[in-house]
Amino acid sequence: MSSVTIRGVRKKYGAMDVLHGIDLEIRDREFVVLVGPSGCGKSTLLRMIAGLESISAGDILIGDRVVNDVPAKARDIAMVFQNYALYPHMSVYENMSFSLRLKRMTKDVIDRKVREAAEILNLSKFLDRSPRQLSGGQRQRVAMGRALVRDAQVFLFDEPLSNLDAKLRVVMRTEIKALHQRLQTTSVYVTHDQIEAMTMADRIVVMNAGRIEQIGTPLELYDTPANLFVADFIGSPSMNFLRGTLDNGGLRLADGTLLPLEKVGRGTLGQKVVFGIRPEHLVLSEDSRNLAAEVEVVEPTGANIQVYAKVAGSPLCAVFTERHDFRPGQRIMLSWDYERSHLFDDATGQRL
Amino acid sequence: MTSKTTRSILYWAILSPLMVVILFPFGVMFVTAVRPRAELFTYPPTWGFSEFRWENFSEMWVKTNFGGALLNSLYVSISATVVALVLSIPAAYAMSRYRFAGKGAYRTFLLMTQMMSPIVLVLGLFRLMMALGLVNDLNSLVLTYAAFNMAFTIWMLQSYFNSIPRDLEEAAWMDGASHLTSLVRIFLPLAVPAMVVTAIFTFINSWNEFVLALTMMRSSEDFTLPVQIYAQVAGRYQVEWHHVMAATVLATVPVAIVFSWLQRYLIRGMALGAVK
Amino acid sequence: MANRIQKSVPLMMILPGLALAVAIIGYPIFDLAWTSLQDVSRFGKLTGFNGGENYAEVFGDPLFWESLWRTGIWTLAVVLGTLAISMPVAMILNDDFYGRGLARVIIMLPWAISLTMTAVVWRWALNGRAGLLNATLMNAGIIDQPIEWLATASTAFVVEILVGILVSIPFTTTILLGGLSSMPQDAYEAAVVDGASGWHQFRYITLPLMKPFINIAIVLNVIYVFNSLPIIWVMTEGGPANGTDILVTYLYKLAFRFGQLGKASAISLIMFFVLLAFTMLYVALVSRNDRDDAAPEEEV
Repeated sequence: MSSVTIRGVRKKYGAMDVLHGIDLEIRDREFVVLVGPSGCGKSTLLRMIAGLESISAGDILIGDRVVNDVPAKARDIAMVFQNYALYPHMSVYENMSFSLRLKRMTKDVIDRKVREAAEILNLSKFLDRSPRQLSGGQRQRVAMGRALVRDAQVFLFDEPLSNLDAKLRVVMRTEIKALHQRLQTTSVYVTHDQIEAMTMADRIVVMNAGRIEQIGTPLELYDTPANLFVADFIGSPSMNFLRGTLDNGGLRLADGTLLPLEKVGRGTLGQKVVFGIRPEHLVLSEDSRNLAAEVEVVEPTGANIQVYAKVAGSPLCAVFTERHDFRPGQRIMLSWDYERSHLFDDATGQRL
Repeated sequence: MTSKTTRSILYWAILSPLMVVILFPFGVMFVTAVRPRAELFTYPPTWGFSEFRWENFSEMWVKTNFGGALLNSLYVSISATVVALVLSIPAAYAMSRYRFAGKGAYRTFLLMTQMMSPIVLVLGLFRLMMALGLVNDLNSLVLTYAAFNMAFTIWMLQSYFNSIPRDLEEAAWMDGASHLTSLVRIFLPLAVPAMVVTAIFTFINSWNEFVLALTMMRSSEDFTLPVQIYAQVAGRYQVEWHHVMAATVLATVPVAIVFSWLQRYLIRGMALGAVK
Repeated sequence: MANRIQKSVPLMMILPGLALAVAIIGYPIFDLAWTSLQDVSRFGKLTGFNGGENYAEVFGDPLFWESLWRTGIWTLAVVLGTLAISMPVAMILNDDFYGRGLARVIIMLPWAISLTMTAVVWRWALNGRAGLLNATLMNAGIIDQPIEWLATASTAFVVEILVGILVSIPFTTTILLGGLSSMPQDAYEAAVVDGASGWHQFRYITLPLMKPFINIAIVLNVIYVFNSLPIIWVMTEGGPANGTDILVTYLYKLAFRFGQLGKASAISLIMFFVLLAFTMLYVALVSRNDRDDAAPEEEV
């Protein structure tokens, strides 16, 4: 097990910059998730750690060793691929033992390790099957088993759950997390799914357009997003944003409505800002000075009710855990806990 | 009647005239190959004949030097296939797996060579082989067939190689395999079917080639089968048609069977890479 | 350093094949161009430049123009005839019906046989006295005298075109099948829901989506048919009286029968440029399709 250090790493494809200088310190035994929309460079970064992509500038260290010029096979890293990459002409047993056979371990050692891993992953019954004969979830487990037998320094996961159906994804998510808690191997996990990131990570790295937007624990990202991008990306349904200008006593929205903010404090008068509030932090209120919204669509999920409404011409979503009987066209008054609202500079997108 | 049954009857009815025309030469071949010589030119012409003369085949074998031509054809086709494949496999792998400068130009060059037919170049090729002293040498055919088939083999192999996921090799590297090991233990085993299919089509192409063989081989003991059979027909006062047809049967039927068995792979290969 | 070695790996892999192709396919083109500008003896000895005289001779030869004209008819007739038959055949073979596997095998059969053999068999089948085509037609009562199919140029040429069509069908059908099998099924389902008839589906979905494949089939067939020697050579050798000569048979006779090597090189080179033009057209078509197909690139 080992730490991974990324220093000023850049990636160019021809004239195109895919990564613009990434700095990241992944601690020993940590489970770090790289998350971002597709095309943000997260998979490229992962493949650079793996040694499958060359590094245009900067350094990658595994432990204290710079591995820029170390080929993939010598990095002692295990990787789980998006499409599993199981060798179709080998049985499950052969798939899992391939790396050990390459290392010329004795038959007994190989057998013990493969059976141990198979036991952990509930694959003991399938060792003689070929990958073709397995279900998606089982293939996923074999791919993990192949990584598991290695006792590698670092595990890399490249969107490993994206080919599974929604239910199985939740199950495997938990299994991977449990596995990490048991083995404590340093892990880097790439996904575009923020829920996966939130549930699994010790720390999340939010990436966008080849840059890191924010690094933090799941709750740090949720409670104090550093900028509009992170605020929008983390959380589901997404945070509501209202644009306006800071005025005496509150936020002046585009249509002239004054949104009362108890204290403006964080910005200067006249500054253009974006006010953010998560749907689950909105509460119903009787006070007519609060935010007036007109209900458009109501979506009960059973566990809660999601209400899509219009406020001063902008769309807004609210989530209530108590049951209410809302109707389209109905006017409701909303308020929120000031501590849970967010304010961003409209020009830079940075948190105020 | 189910709609599928109706449809099947309709389709077969539409296709049947074409099929009759396709199968007609095969009928002609067989019926002529087994009839007695005396019944070749009966009047009025007829499909019927008095007896099956299987001896036609053995007579033909001796009289037309079929065995010699067969050996020549086998030598040329097998060697050309081996040469083409040995040169194409690495090239197809490079095309499928690497980005490199000049890849687009190389692809265009391959397309050009694919389009260049031997007939346009035949005079230049003949002069080249003269200069190399390879006229009347079967190896001249080996080289030219290999060269003219290479665009096809690279194309075909590349489209199959592309369908072998790259991450299998990457997974092998991560598992600690060198490039060579992953090539030998992961990639090649998966590529074998593609290579076999490509080899067989190259073999058939070489087996059937006419123009170059006609031009380069000037003496009858070097003839390949198509030229040998053509020589039984061209410029002769009296053609032994029953022997010619017997020879055609022997030269085409085995190839046709193998081809029919493999044609779906050709269709797949073309669907995968060629046309797109 | 290591990087430079790595960069040269793919080049090393394509180099041996490239060398062979350049030697066998590239060199003769230069040799032909060189030869076409010189006086050449019967035995291939170059005896000095003659300033385009070979070309002048070619263009002054009525046989060249006749062959060129006939090449045009031959190519056009075979290519269009092939397409007209292959399109419905491909559509049928793409549909599900009993015995489809067998039907495919039969339709593809002519592809497996060398053109030479096919032509030899047809030459016999069309024999004016005892040919089995005559036998069949007489049995059916369509004719009562055997016809000398290959003895007059006009019938011979028509028959050769028909054989040309027959042997081009498998390849063309294969390309069209490749296109049809990649057709999005849901587009048809949507069209049915929208109330499109069978004809409408063909006209507004199949045909537009098939256009790139049809284009490629046409260009490839033009190239192959334009170059095809064996059928005409084996059946009539361009005869009788040069009445079925196309450029390739004319070229072959000049080069290997009459020993007019300078003139033959000139024709070769002219044909090479015609071919080059078609090939460029093909490359343009293929790369246009590639662009259309290229999805916005996913992160890798």
